Amino acid sequence: MNKLLVVDDEPEICEFLQAFFEERDFQVEFATSGKDALAKVEKKPPQVMLLDVQMPGMDGMQVLKEVKKKHPKVKVIMVTAIETREKIEEAMRAGADNYITKPLSLEYLEKDVQEKITQLAKA
Amino acid sequence: MSKKENPKKKINYHQTLRDVATSMVRLKQPERLLKMITRFIDRQFGLTHTSLLIFEEEKKRFIFVDSKGSSRVPINLIRIDMDHPLVLWFQRVKRVAGIQEDYLSRAMLNQWMPAASQEFIHQKTDLDVRRLVKAMDAFKIDLAIPGYFKNTLLGLLLLGKKKSGRRFTPSEISFFQILTQDCSMAVKTSQYHQSLEEQNIELACRIEEIEAFRKKERDTYYEVMRALAQEVDAKDAYTFGHVSQVEYLGFLTAREMKLDMSGNRKDILAAGLILHDIGKIGIPDHVLKKPGRLTEEEWGVMKTHAEKGARILDHLSAFKDVAEIVRCHHENFDGTGYPRGLIGDQIPIEARIVAVVDAFHAIVSSRCYQQGRTPEEAFKEIKRCAGTQFDPVVVDAFIRALKKEMKKRGVSCAIHKESAYLKVQEPSPTGGIG
Repeated sequence: MNKLLVVDDEPEICEFLQAFFEERDFQVEFATSGKDALAKVEKKPPQVMLLDVQMPGMDGMQVLKEVKKKHPKVKVIMVTAIETREKIEEAMRAGADNYITKPLSLEYLEKDVQEKITQLAKA
Repeated sequence: MSKKENPKKKINYHQTLRDVATSMVRLKQPERLLKMITRFIDRQFGLTHTSLLIFEEEKKRFIFVDSKGSSRVPINLIRIDMDHPLVLWFQRVKRVAGIQEDYLSRAMLNQWMPAASQEFIHQKTDLDVRRLVKAMDAFKIDLAIPGYFKNTLLGLLLLGKKKSGRRFTPSEISFFQILTQDCSMAVKTSQYHQSLEEQNIELACRIEEIEAFRKKERDTYYEVMRALAQEVDAKDAYTFGHVSQVEYLGFLTAREMKLDMSGNRKDILAAGLILHDIGKIGIPDHVLKKPGRLTEEEWGVMKTHAEKGARILDHLSAFKDVAEIVRCHHENFDGTGYPRGLIGDQIPIEARIVAVVDAFHAIVSSRCYQQGRTPEEAFKEIKRCAGTQFDPVVVDAFIRALKKEMKKRGVSCAIHKESAYLKVQEPSPTGGIG
């Protein structure tokens, strides 16, 4: 079963995305902080990670860099309300696999996650 | 809750909500009321999900205004794009497929799922019923209601199941439809308000700027012109003082003729009188200052001053009429003048006045080669040319006006034989063409 980790400091968002992807046959876990996210990745690395950029404490950029250092195979999709060119470029340089801005289209998000899974299956 | 109480209560909802909706249409920022509506539906109907979406004109997408219930969605997380199955359905399919109901229920989709119906819908649109099912299920909704403004989808009300397990009644659905319609109207009205207000402010600023600029331009130009006219006056030594005298005499005549001086007509006349010889600035000194008679060639050069003067003024739209006066001030009433040989009424009345007072002033002015003649002599000369060179009506008015003025001031014609000046008050200052 495909494993997905949702990281967002808003539990409501985590719960919604968890329910959404569970209905699509994903095994979904979520984390509401950067630290929590890294711990969960260490315990059981997911195939795909939906990662919020703006979080109190350790932010999404730091989490991204850590994850990509230790687990380069994990596909990371940045999900954020910030849409500056600098942030996008920074995330891409740090190895992000996509950058989606909120509010997002569920159809697109689902398609993109499926695509990442397909890429992993081919690799 | 008994069956008897229920409809009564519903009617009250209707009335309350209709009132709210009506006032909402007039609101500039309907968002708070839209949120209130969402909460109201959530509480009163006891639904698993109530979401209200509005169209964002700028980004061409639908965003959640509010979402309530156990199956609510995080409103900042999700948007609905124009290619979302529900949007496509309400925007396009409804009309193409000729389906009457302005709502979509999960139950309807279930009915369409059998192969034949699915094909029917699929044929007429590129929409798959399954995509609609998926889209509705993603939000856990049972009912989707569109709000239109002039056939454009502007709002969407998404409703989950009743917690009681009951189905929506037709009157509830029609109530939701009216409500969603009003919400869309409110959104559109507020957008209109906003854009109209912005446009109005912008426009007012621009108009003010343009007006201020035009006025400044006009004033500056008029000042420059006046200075130039005085320059010409000074350059042409014989006609020193000519400008202000001509202006004064011209106004006497116009008043005597009861000429329409309303609006900016007065300023146009003043400018015409002041600036009529402005083109002489472009005439070489050896021609302009030549004592004695001009050769035919020199006379030809001299004659160009009317056109030259008009061209200086042509650059400013506010001076269009003035330019025409300047251009025409040497036209003769019988069509023998220059530069175009216009006849009678073809010549602007102001130009006909300029012609008479200009000639009069030239006759009474002393030149180095010619002693100025008396006003009486000038009158005689001008009368002789009435109907040929001059407009007889203008000539009559001019002579009448000047005689009156001289009598009033006790000025004898003879006294001023040696001087071009009629010692009368300075012409009233004119403040530019406005």
